[in-house]
Amino acid sequence: MINKGSGSGMTKTTIPTINFKEKAEELLPEGASFEACLTCGLCSSGCPASGIENMDPRKFIRMAMLGMDKELSTSKWVWACTQCKRCQHVCPMSIDVSQLVFLARSNWPQEKKPSGIVRSCQLIQSTDSTSAMGLPPEDFVFVVQDVLEEVRELQPKFKNMQAPMDKKGAHFFVNQNSREPMSEPDEMVPLWKIFDIVGADWTYSSKAWAAENFCMFSGNEEAWREVIKKRVDAVNELGCEIWLNTECGHSYYTMWNGINRFGMEADFKLESLVTYYARWIREGKLPVNSEWNSSNIKFTVQDPCMIVRKAYGESIAEDMRFVTKSLVGEENFIDMQPNRSANYCCGGGGGFLQAGMTEHRRTYGKRKFDQIAATGASYVLTPCHNCHSQMEDIGHHFGGSYGVVHFWTLICLSLGILGENERTYLGPDLLECI
Amino acid sequence: MIEEDRHFTAELAVIGTGLAGFAASIFALKRNIKTAQIGNTGAVAYTTGYLDLLGSLSPDYPTSIEDPWQGIEQLKSSHPNHPLCRIRKTDICTAFEQFTSFLGECGIAYTPPGKSNLSVLTPAGTLKPTLCIPSTMKVGSTAFSQKEPCVIIDFKGLKGFSGRQVVANLKDKWPRLSSSRIEFPDMVTGEIYPEVMARSLEVPATREKLAKILVEAAGDVKIIGLPAILGMHAPDLVRQEMEQLTGLQIFEIPTMPPSVPGIRLREMFEQLFPQKGVILVPQQKVDKLEFIKNGAQLSLSDSFGPITIHSKSVILATGRFLSGGLKARIDGINEPLLNLPVTQPDSRREWYREKYTDYRGHAINSAGIEVDSSFRPLDTRGQPYSRNLFAAGVILAHQDWIRGRCGAGVAIATAYKAVEEVEKLLR
Ligand SMILES: Cc1cc2nc3c(=O)[nH]c(=O)nc-3n(C[C@H](O)[C@H](O)[C@H](O)COP(=O)(O)OP(=O)(O)OC[C@H]3O[C@@H](n4cnc5c(N)ncnc54)[C@H](O)[C@@H]3O)c2cc1C
Ligand code: SF4
Ligand code: SF4
Ligand code: SF4
Repeated sequence: MINKGSGSGMTKTTIPTINFKEKAEELLPEGASFEACLTCGLCSSGCPASGIENMDPRKFIRMAMLGMDKELSTSKWVWACTQCKRCQHVCPMSIDVSQLVFLARSNWPQEKKPSGIVRSCQLIQSTDSTSAMGLPPEDFVFVVQDVLEEVRELQPKFKNMQAPMDKKGAHFFVNQNSREPMSEPDEMVPLWKIFDIVGADWTYSSKAWAAENFCMFSGNEEAWREVIKKRVDAVNELGCEIWLNTECGHSYYTMWNGINRFGMEADFKLESLVTYYARWIREGKLPVNSEWNSSNIKFTVQDPCMIVRKAYGESIAEDMRFVTKSLVGEENFIDMQPNRSANYCCGGGGGFLQAGMTEHRRTYGKRKFDQIAATGASYVLTPCHNCHSQMEDIGHHFGGSYGVVHFWTLICLSLGILGENERTYLGPDLLECI
Repeated sequence: MIEEDRHFTAELAVIGTGLAGFAASIFALKRNIKTAQIGNTGAVAYTTGYLDLLGSLSPDYPTSIEDPWQGIEQLKSSHPNHPLCRIRKTDICTAFEQFTSFLGECGIAYTPPGKSNLSVLTPAGTLKPTLCIPSTMKVGSTAFSQKEPCVIIDFKGLKGFSGRQVVANLKDKWPRLSSSRIEFPDMVTGEIYPEVMARSLEVPATREKLAKILVEAAGDVKIIGLPAILGMHAPDLVRQEMEQLTGLQIFEIPTMPPSVPGIRLREMFEQLFPQKGVILVPQQKVDKLEFIKNGAQLSLSDSFGPITIHSKSVILATGRFLSGGLKARIDGINEPLLNLPVTQPDSRREWYREKYTDYRGHAINSAGIEVDSSFRPLDTRGQPYSRNLFAAGVILAHQDWIRGRCGAGVAIATAYKAVEEVEKLLR
């Protein structure tokens, strides 16, 4: 019988076998080794991907050391591990499984990799925007202009608000997750309002404005490098002092890690918006308060691993809590357990949301769901788009009753400047507080 | 990329986040000493949660001892250099009191140190002597001494804990003990870890589901023993609620590592210390330690980049081989951070006796660094390495905590002593 399916050619491609032990020796810094593994199991016990595809981090390392390269090279589990590095965080030997996972992902032939992640990376490469949704620069410029005009017209308080584009020498180069200009443009407005109120000197760039970077997760190192190069060049070109990462976790990590990894020349600092929210509140520039929350609605925060455990650590976790408490009231904040650097990944990271492995992704997310449910909070605040989407999805799937909100939304709510169209993520209880 | 250097100053830098390091930070907090602490996962994450002071006088008296305080007296004549013999008993007792009451204030209640050891259950269902236990395990100790009817529960898919094994080991001593295997609610099949169950039990809905199953499994019996899974950060609350929901008396038994009581302690310390003002750099190791005028400089890096800490004093609590405080090499055992001299057998051949299970123990297990009476490590000339350096925990020579069942005892007592000496130096 003739197989006419268009995918028939693809399924025949085989995944080459990696010699993990040899590669590991090249990858790890001097003195470190996977052979140092005590097989204590702390990593697996604390990894939400344990059990998926009958694999867990300890098993992965054991198999690598035993030379079971073929099994590992083809294991689908590498697409279920979000490279969140929690295993490394709890490991007494600091063994980092995510490095082997990245290696394994890179090794999969393009056509065998989950097509959603590959496609997102291709789209990023397809325009100068570096947008995973393929939104070209001129469309971005148009959307920003269009939304800005509408706000100026309809919200008199902001009739002089700016959303500068390609402004040379601006202090902040601000990036933007594509989801906003593409599918919910009004969600950009609260952020602009915050900049307006604190008097920030900022700009968007028509080039390399997009935040997301699935090329790293697709295991395509060359593409990852290219994307980062475009972004670094764009900031250098505008001569901005700070590349300000807005509420998107992995965009920060891929940029920061990429610049170091590829040894790029970058004449600017990388900063996270959360740090600035905290600074502006402390300095009194962002006069938020929690008086609006007289009905004591409870909130928790999700620490995105990409900016907390994998990057800044304690300092940004502390800033997030300071901002949250200022916004909702100390008594209305309940921390998830575990939290900060020990927090669990939500299960949306590492390209999981794009990979089309819905059932596995939700199995992974069950841990996050339990964490949120245990707090009893009505809302989760998080400065990360992936976390946001995943927590909404698992909430619906497992029958949770919580909502997920961006920081910018709540900041504007507290300041009494949240426009009609900027309230998508508010439940009836929050709407009542306006 | 433009990076910022991170720099901290402290009065005390504690190197190590095992029991000794955490205890040192607690005692320093009590004395208002500004503290920075650095370390990777220590042995604390593997412990059963029991805090042993002294459980055996091996090899002279290999069976368990009931009175650890009197045991320390005996130790003084047989092993005068043992770290526990160099600290006043009242100080050891205060150290345990302060340590356990701190844990209690932070949401993990412990029994205070008593006059004698308690007899408690190991994961295998054998008995061991210990001084202080998490209050979630207390009912088990009393139920055993009264020989009350009791069911030990285990779970499908949970490795490293078997109710039947516990019962088999205790049947002679505890006749009305039985076991039952149940399924944990809402777990996908396959291996399940105690950590996952514990976190799941922080959710009220899971507690309600499990309570129903437990009531059925208990039948007429009023006391049940569970593997240690009753919540992660508020175990006493979870246990109380489970008791209310089931109308049963419930206690925990530690499981094999990685077990929940150890993870509880570690997670609690990591979360609370920064809130209490300790500069904690978790999951990292100090790369370089140098003594400069009036103090020390510590160099390390975390995922974000380099960190420098300047401190007036240092407590070295880096543990033994497992944690990297001591390194075994072809030419002998060394201490990697400062290359302090290590007391050890003359040659590698004398590290171990022929039989691993030899009750007299192995020489390698008593190797370690030497300290003076104020717990300052000694250099090759037998002089303090620096007046600003102190040591605590199982890195110290002349103790074999495994055979002596004195792991927590050595860690907590020596940490207390070292912090006391730090305070003398600072004030
Ligand atoms: C499996 C297991 C079960 C146990 N069960 C019990 C029990 O039930 N009851 C009991 O009383 N005791 C128990 N113990 C013993 C007890 O845990 C130890 O006695 C105690 O933890 C020793 O404390 P420590 O702080 O001296 O050393 P460790 O706990 O080993 O800690 C050493 C610390 O130093 C850190 N470190 C090393 N080098 C550096 C460096 N260069 N820079 C920074 N940090 C560094 C390590 O990362 C680690 O955090 C158990 C031990 C194990 C291994
Ligand atoms: S936590 Fe580290 S040492 Fe323990 S099994 Fe995992 S990789 Fe090995
Ligand atoms: S990186 Fe995260 S998901 Fe992957 S093995 Fe480690 S803990 Fe699990
Ligand atoms: S989606 Fe959020 S939690 Fe998940 S990997 Fe990304 S940053 Fe981490």
